[in-house]
Amino acid sequence: MKIISVVSAKGGVGKTTLSANLCSALKKIGNDVLAVDLDPQNSLRLHFGINPAQDHGVATLQDDPIHWSDILIEGQQGCLVLPFGTTTEYERAVFEQQLHDDPCLLSDHLSSLGLDENTTVVIDTPPGPSIYLKQALSVANVSVIVNLADAASYATIPMIDGLISQFCQNRPDFICSFFVINQLDRSRKLASDIADIMVMQFDKNNISIIHQDQSIPEALAFSKDTINFAPNCRGTHDFIDFSLKISNIINSNSLESNVEKSL
Amino acid sequence: MKYSLGFDIFLERIGSQILIWKLWNSKIARSLAIVTAIFMIFMVISAPLTLVEQIIFALFSFIAILLVRTLQWGQASIVLMIVISVTVSLRYFYWRLTSSINFDNFLDGFFGWGLVLAEIYSLIVLLLGYVQTAMPLKRPVVLMPQDQSQWPTVDVFIPTYAEDLDVVRLTVLAALSLDWPKDKLCIYVLDDGRRNEFKDFCNQVGAIYLTRTNNAHNKAGNLNAALSQTNGDYVAIFDCDHIPTRSFLQISMGWFIKDPKLAMVQTPHYFFSPDPFEKNLNTYRLVPNEGELFYGLVQEGNDLWNASFFCGSCAVLKRGPLIEVGGIAIETVTEDAHTALKMSKRGYNLAYLATPQAAGLATESLSRHVVQRIRWARGMAQIFRVDNPFLAKGLTIWQRLCYSNAMLHFFYGLPRLVFLTAPLAYLLFGAQVFSASAIFVVAYALPHIAIASVTNSKIQGPYRHSFWNEVYETTLAWYILFPVLLALINPKLGAFNPTSKGGIVEKEYVDWKLSRPYILLLLINLLGFILGIVKLALNEGTVSTLIINLVWVSFNIVIISAAANAAREVKQLRTTPRVKANLAATIVMPDGKTIICETNDFSKDGVELVSNSSLRPALGQKILLSIFRGSKEVAFPGVVARTGETIGVYFNNLTLDQQKELTQITFSRADNWVNLWGKDALDSPLKSLREVMKYGIFNLAPLLKSAASDIYSSLLLRNRRKKFTS
Repeated sequence: MKIISVVSAKGGVGKTTLSANLCSALKKIGNDVLAVDLDPQNSLRLHFGINPAQDHGVATLQDDPIHWSDILIEGQQGCLVLPFGTTTEYERAVFEQQLHDDPCLLSDHLSSLGLDENTTVVIDTPPGPSIYLKQALSVANVSVIVNLADAASYATIPMIDGLISQFCQNRPDFICSFFVINQLDRSRKLASDIADIMVMQFDKNNISIIHQDQSIPEALAFSKDTINFAPNCRGTHDFIDFSLKISNIINSNSLESNVEKSL
Repeated sequence: MKYSLGFDIFLERIGSQILIWKLWNSKIARSLAIVTAIFMIFMVISAPLTLVEQIIFALFSFIAILLVRTLQWGQASIVLMIVISVTVSLRYFYWRLTSSINFDNFLDGFFGWGLVLAEIYSLIVLLLGYVQTAMPLKRPVVLMPQDQSQWPTVDVFIPTYAEDLDVVRLTVLAALSLDWPKDKLCIYVLDDGRRNEFKDFCNQVGAIYLTRTNNAHNKAGNLNAALSQTNGDYVAIFDCDHIPTRSFLQISMGWFIKDPKLAMVQTPHYFFSPDPFEKNLNTYRLVPNEGELFYGLVQEGNDLWNASFFCGSCAVLKRGPLIEVGGIAIETVTEDAHTALKMSKRGYNLAYLATPQAAGLATESLSRHVVQRIRWARGMAQIFRVDNPFLAKGLTIWQRLCYSNAMLHFFYGLPRLVFLTAPLAYLLFGAQVFSASAIFVVAYALPHIAIASVTNSKIQGPYRHSFWNEVYETTLAWYILFPVLLALINPKLGAFNPTSKGGIVEKEYVDWKLSRPYILLLLINLLGFILGIVKLALNEGTVSTLIINLVWVSFNIVIISAAANAAREVKQLRTTPRVKANLAATIVMPDGKTIICETNDFSKDGVELVSNSSLRPALGQKILLSIFRGSKEVAFPGVVARTGETIGVYFNNLTLDQQKELTQITFSRADNWVNLWGKDALDSPLKSLREVMKYGIFNLAPLLKSAASDIYSSLLLRNRRKKFTS
């Protein structure tokens, strides 16, 4: 099981859409995928065609001695989905308290699922520092940092870097951070320049660009995923490229660790 | 087909054994070996043989050349073929001069001696050609040192006179994109047209605009004026329509660091549009064009003898030596070759690097092509007169031979016309140009021609196909004949004609003015052919002589017909030639949807795209086109010009920055032309003969038809004029 936590310092950068499309793309290229929504907005499930009336989720189970495995739902692309759940204010406060009290809560639940070694878990988080982000980062093998190509996003990079070095860098199972420039519009000079600067600062294997593409929101409106909705659009191309890079990172790393083990 | 009987391996082993003998360290042994070899070859050349023996010798030589042709000995098999070819050809000439020129009367003597002289000319050019191309140097690229502080300063000169800014713009933008330390690179536009729009453009993009008060000595004077206003260590020169790739300087400058005596590095002129021959004969990318032999083989051959030419563009010159010879030569109209010769005389080295690092437009009509070739021919004849390489001091014998051949080459006009009319001397006038029987002529001349052809075909490989040379030379022969003669008589006669490029041919037409001499030549040859057939039918004259002359005249008819067809200008509506390239791209439509695609080709104005998507932009729609190069992506505003199977997009209102980025992503790509260089099919003489015959024969009837209507209409015009004046 490899865990990818999708994080951002700012809201409105398209994190949930990106997470959902990453799941579909990873599935498309042959991975088993579990999508976990740790964002109280509870909107990740909509990308997988799950009935909005279905309100169970990881945050609604606190009083029940039920396992996370009991609420696993299969989304329409064949990905497994764990929604956040439609919570009351109180339920959410309780869930957050539990997360505070038990730093290993997420980790324990995920391992209790007994997932296959080759399954990739993608965790969507709410923007900015939060207890969700903290737990998601603490279990991540790869942290995906989502940004827009604008000055505000650029300015928040140090903050997210700080969190990653606090929760990830020292863990031996942490592989690397991955940078995503989302919704890039090349016709805008400033955005294009900022993107070029960002690209220069990263190893090209650790950065992806997702271009602005109307087919992406349109796919959601039709309750479909972009890859199947518009197979020859830029967005699909970018998501596939992104998922290949991610897949490469986690697979080559597990190869290395296998070699280490056998040594 | 490969004949490996083990014999070639055996020979190779013996040869290698002999080569490592210590004996060869002695100069005397080497000289003795050479004298012995020359003596033996002379024996073969001069041995008197009966007719049957000569035929056996001819057959034996022909089989030998075909066997050697298949040997995998690399350059050694070519040298061996040359030895066989030279021997057989000299044997023919020995016989020709000793046994076939006893002419009975003035007519025979006139035609006979004319043919002998033309033959001697072609023998000299054949021999010099072998010296020049026997062992092409194939100089590798030398990389620049890592430490950029050691890199010299370079001035790039882009001379222009009357060309459109539209043409020059690309070259300037590409020059500005050259990969070289910015503080060591200056781009100069040398405008003899003194145009304000050029000045404004240069100011906007960061090039330096230079002019002078007069236009004395045209391009050479323009370059010299710029030399006096600049001070870079090196000068790179690009004709204003030769677009450099970004790697040009890094590729071409390395040799200067390695060889301090080096004064010039020339790279090939690559053309991304068809020249008039390719266009009118429809041979683009199928048959190597006229220039490929020079840049593919001749320059590589010259380079071995340190006799590479400066060709006026796509080259780097070292300022010191250039100033030492007084700048660019102004005495002749081929200032480039003359400048190289002058630097060579001073003991500087010249280099040729066969890595195409710039590309340009070919001349678009035959008449302009002819004007350009006339200039070259005239200039070479001028150099032959004012600075003859055989008399000049400071050259090695090999340099003299190479330079001489370059000049002699342009004297082919008269000999070519002699060969094209020689059989008519017998067919029309009954003159005996050989004082020997036909069967003897065949037994001696045929092996000479056939073996020389096979040898040249092997040497020239992908750079020139057999018989096409005849077509190219025939087309130009008449036009360069008089300028060359004039220049030989008085080098000062003649003016400079810069060749302009980038026009359109709106409807198909025949350039009659240009092809008239050939129509006339064709008609005379046809007459000769018919007379020959009649004579044969009436059993008049010697049958064997008639047949030889008929075969010869038929070959001439085919060549002349193909050559005359080169003057039939086909439509050229698309003014911007396209370059094949598959670059990743994305169309972003106004509604924000995108289409993943790939370019088929690009031009300076637009691209053609293919896509798997079922989505298509609407005609005339304004879109955004992103083009990728590695991880780099640039977006350009465009308009959809064509939609369907492929999508045509032309760029719209690009800013200067965008134009520069477009140039970098398209024309400046370092790998654009290298992949296309020398990739034509290898020559196969029989296939080439079939091709040339096809062009010659199939086009004969339409050619004559248009000729008839041309003559008719000009007669009509004359009658009308007569009526009008009376």
